[in-house]
Amino acid sequence: MAHHRTVTTASDALGIAVAARVPVLLWGAPGTGKTATIRAMAAALGWPCETVIASIREPSDFAGLPIVVDGDVRFAPPGWARRLASAGCGLLFLDELSTAPPAVQAALLRVVLERVVGDLALPDSIAVVAAANPPEQAADGWDLSAPLANRLCHLVWDIDPRVVADGLAGGFTAPVVPELPDGWAGDQGLAQALVGAFLQVRPALACAPPSDATTAGRGWPSPRTWEMAARLWAASGAAGAGSETRSVLVAGAVGDGAAAEFLAWMQEMDLPDPEAVLADPGSFALPHRSDRAYAAVAAVAAVVAARPTPERWAAGWRVLGIAARRAPDVAAVGARTLARCRPDGVQLPAEVRLFAPVLREAGLLRG
Amino acid sequence: MSEVPGVATARLWAASRFPYLASAVFGVQPREAPGVGTVAVDESWRLWVDAEVSAGWSPAQFGSVLVHHVCHLLRAHAERARAAAVPEDAAGTTPGSAGVVGTVGYDPGQRSRSVRWIWCADAEINDDLVPAGLQLPGEPVLPRHLGHQPGRLAEQYYAAEARPGRRPDGWDLDCGSGADGCCRTWETRPGTEPGLQPWQARLLCRLAAQEILRHAREIGTVPAGLARWASALLEPKVDWRRALAAEVRKAVADVTGAVDYSYRRPSRRATVTGDVVLPALRRPVPEVAVVCDTSGSMTDDLLAASLAEVDGLLRALGLTRRLRVIACDTAAAVAKRVTSARQVELTGGGGTNMGAGIAAAAALRPRPAITVVLTDGLTPWPDAAPPGMKVVVGLLGSGPGDQPPEPPAWARAIQVPAHD
Repeated sequence: MAHHRTVTTASDALGIAVAARVPVLLWGAPGTGKTATIRAMAAALGWPCETVIASIREPSDFAGLPIVVDGDVRFAPPGWARRLASAGCGLLFLDELSTAPPAVQAALLRVVLERVVGDLALPDSIAVVAAANPPEQAADGWDLSAPLANRLCHLVWDIDPRVVADGLAGGFTAPVVPELPDGWAGDQGLAQALVGAFLQVRPALACAPPSDATTAGRGWPSPRTWEMAARLWAASGAAGAGSETRSVLVAGAVGDGAAAEFLAWMQEMDLPDPEAVLADPGSFALPHRSDRAYAAVAAVAAVVAARPTPERWAAGWRVLGIAARRAPDVAAVGARTLARCRPDGVQLPAEVRLFAPVLREAGLLRG
Repeated sequence: MSEVPGVATARLWAASRFPYLASAVFGVQPREAPGVGTVAVDESWRLWVDAEVSAGWSPAQFGSVLVHHVCHLLRAHAERARAAAVPEDAAGTTPGSAGVVGTVGYDPGQRSRSVRWIWCADAEINDDLVPAGLQLPGEPVLPRHLGHQPGRLAEQYYAAEARPGRRPDGWDLDCGSGADGCCRTWETRPGTEPGLQPWQARLLCRLAAQEILRHAREIGTVPAGLARWASALLEPKVDWRRALAAEVRKAVADVTGAVDYSYRRPSRRATVTGDVVLPALRRPVPEVAVVCDTSGSMTDDLLAASLAEVDGLLRALGLTRRLRVIACDTAAAVAKRVTSARQVELTGGGGTNMGAGIAAAAALRPRPAITVVLTDGLTPWPDAAPPGMKVVVGLLGSGPGDQPPEPPAWARAIQVPAHD
């Protein structure tokens, strides 16, 4: 699925991350228009954009330059920080992040997450966006240090030839930063509860620092990135983003593996609890998508097979009877599981007749 | 749920015979597509069914087509076709409306490239699924029809210009854009419902891989090719070049990253700070040494490849002038400064002791801060790390079958497989 992480999705994701004020980092080969896109985005919003090239800076440019005032040493912020602070809004663009030497990366830690430069705290409305070339493509690249990588949402900026062709013909379009509705911060609490419930089930994913140097420079799960993921989840929901964009944002915060587990769990959440279904078979509603329907039916059949008491077995058949009305093939797969775990001395239920024709037609039943 | 005729029984057959693919089989979304002359899939898991074609099939045959198409999607043949730069067809993308098996009008001259990719992809799928009980309509495409050994990848068949001697019945059925990545005209008809989103498709692939591995573990009858696909998807192997590069870069960054403040020179910012004396930053440029195992058990190709990687990497980091290479077997040869991998002569033979090589590297002046050891691993190692030196080990040619001694815990080791 090569089209799944094209510039269009990344561009939507970038807009949402900026709207939610989550620090974001674009990874892409040199010359793919990262810098131009970010400047165009700031221009479209009418925001001042301060570009700071991290690789030619010293740590003191981010930690503040020490000066003596009345016997005290103060850490004076550089001009770009003062300009942003006085404008009250704007975009801080940190270019060439991966070519910054390790000492500069260390100095950037507070700037990226807390927006503090020297003694000056930038307003919360300042958005932080960074761009970097993957180390294997940059002439003198370093892998991003794991602490800095953990403060950013990583988006892959893959070039789509069609977007380039359109852009050359008619001008490149800037990513749209959506206007988030007022109540979206309330959704964030819900999203955090959701993430919390997931981490109860998968505690190993709450904090999993990368073990090797290859993966250290990308998103990895930690309490901070899960909170970031919850914020992005709420913001993308409030902005009405597509589910593809939302999955890219979660993966950007916590990494691909943890994001896949989280999204799979979210899908499972939509399925009815098999034990609750067995307790009240009449309430069973078959999910619309046939693979979800199969997952629901297979889950019910599996819990019956694990403990096949006569009552549970009969309840399982009633569930299959309901499923068979809309998806006889899905129900028939569950019927084969139940047929194998028939408790001793129990009569075959009436629902069995429903499945005989379809099983015979498929050549799976003799006679 | 599936109003398309024949799909229900076909899915039931497929889910019963290939239970480890059940989730994926039910994940396919059938759509009626009269007149397309085939049953095809696209990348969003939609199954385009021409009922006139499928009416001629038994449930087992239709079910087999389903399993076959699902494997196209699981193995990402469309994406791989794009990666292999399989050209899109100029004309004849819409097959004729004849709708009868075997009479679809392909012009072999115009469509040979794309059709050839689909055959290669078919051969990759069929070679272990047909023995597992797949009953495709017509004669299934197998590697031997393309003049090849089984068990290879579609890219290998394709690159070898594999061509069938003859074209048996059923080979003209189009598997769809899910197999070759070229969009078919019927997929873009207005008013068609979208299929799965890409992220949903990715999740479905992971789920199928988990089910395949669970089935292989607990029941144990999964075609080897599918099991290999599943474990590769769930436990992706990192390219050794990336891993080796990252480790060497990390070692260099750790050494150079120990940036020290020094008062030997005034800071270039001192003019603005008045009475405060600022330190300047100094950044040491590390010395790098490479120790090459030259014993009889090493293969030239692999050593040259690894050395070239290290060389290219240090060149990218701007450290080439300082690269020194030591050839080592039981006793280390004299260290030689080289500027490229081609200048290394493998002088040794016989036994191996990498400890001697590391000691020789530590004895160099100026002392290297980073030593990269390229060896097959069949060597004793020193008990303790050489003081003040980072060691990165490239273990060459080790496969899952070999059991070389564990490299010491004080070094970072990268496996470099012989075939990748």
